[in-house]
Amino acid sequence: MLRIAAFIGLAVSVACSLVAQTQAAGTLTGKLTDPSGAVVANTTVTATNIDNGQTRTATTGADGGYQFTMLPPGNYRVRFEAAGFKTLEIASATIGATQAVVDGKLEPGVSTPSLGDLGFTPDQSQGSAQDQARLDKRSRMLKTHQRLGLITTAPLVATLFLANGASGHKSTASGRDLHAILGGVTAGMYLTTASFAIFAPKIAGTPTRGPIRVHKALAWIHGPGMILTPILGSLALAQKDRGEKVHGIASAHGAVAGVTAAAYGAAMLSVIIKF
Amino acid sequence: MNRKILWVFLALASLAGADGQWVLASSTLVYHVSHPLHQSEGVSHAAKGKGVCQGGQCNFLIAVPVKSFESGDTNRDLHMVQVTHGAQFPMVSVRVSLPEAALTSASIHCDVEIQFGGQTAKYKNVAFQAVTKGTETRITGSIPATLSDFKIEPPSLLSIPVKNDMPVRVDMTWRPM
Repeated sequence: MLRIAAFIGLAVSVACSLVAQTQAAGTLTGKLTDPSGAVVANTTVTATNIDNGQTRTATTGADGGYQFTMLPPGNYRVRFEAAGFKTLEIASATIGATQAVVDGKLEPGVSTPSLGDLGFTPDQSQGSAQDQARLDKRSRMLKTHQRLGLITTAPLVATLFLANGASGHKSTASGRDLHAILGGVTAGMYLTTASFAIFAPKIAGTPTRGPIRVHKALAWIHGPGMILTPILGSLALAQKDRGEKVHGIASAHGAVAGVTAAAYGAAMLSVIIKF
Repeated sequence: MNRKILWVFLALASLAGADGQWVLASSTLVYHVSHPLHQSEGVSHAAKGKGVCQGGQCNFLIAVPVKSFESGDTNRDLHMVQVTHGAQFPMVSVRVSLPEAALTSASIHCDVEIQFGGQTAKYKNVAFQAVTKGTETRITGSIPATLSDFKIEPPSLLSIPVKNDMPVRVDMTWRPM
């Protein structure tokens, strides 16, 4: 009994959903005539959704009429193209949930070739709002990546500049602490910057060519370096705090930091300088 | 009488010959954008075009996929496709209407209508140079397009936007169909 009730509930909800979708879609109809009032058959009618670029085409019948059904509501550009007539374009027609009528009167003249005449494949000529949204998201994330990358340069340079006060015989505890704090801020900002590039949507079928290839390759140097540098730094800091001379693997902290900073700078230059 | 019929026939034949169709045999389209840090150009050879001439008037349509432009950096190209809404409106189409007689002159001035990024812009009296060799006619020129003509937000590098001007150099070879 429970199963039957669940099935009925599901069927009703699917039916309601279908009805809702049908109601949301509109219909566009119209009739094409020439200046004498005679109907014009075999005219290509193209309706382009101005908001998302989606296009639909239809051809007028023997009565000069055409019809688009199930059109998502929105503003449409309607274009009529027939041999022996000037191309007619209606800049904007609003399609709602009801039937819209757009008639056209064609003037005799030289016909204009249409996109369909040029032989582009639907893949090339059909727009996709989803693909555009994906590109938009990718660009937003990469823009943030760029801005954060620029901002990260400031604590990075400051950390390098204050390295003198954190190492050697003249180093002080406060100098080391300041260097460590700035290094931590740099690493944190760096990882945030990197995450915007790593998690930006990938566009399938796009090879990596040009300076961006160098930019990405350098990330394999400054990425691990930016993780390793704070680890080595904390080891060195602990040794210094114990009054020991920095030794072992921790002594590589300065060199790793230098290489990391150099690779980071080169990665920025690779997208700035054209080569 | 026979001679008159022959003359009428020849006149009709020449009129029929004047009408015709053209097809784009090859093309190079180059857009140029200028940034304070460097200049960039995107090149496409993927345009297709067709022209129809009737009664002394010609209409041409040239179309090219937005993503066919290559600047040598795929990241920049993807960014250009994004800012120009190239995934949503994947084609740039150019419509030109001109008298057929203009096709035989070395300098062509015509109005150009461009649909790009869901917007339409019209450029008045754009100058092109034409050179005819054999049956082919090579047309070169530059269209003074700007980003704002198509409501395109200027792409930026390191938060610095490119300039508004985006001239498009055109080099097309047409042949009769």
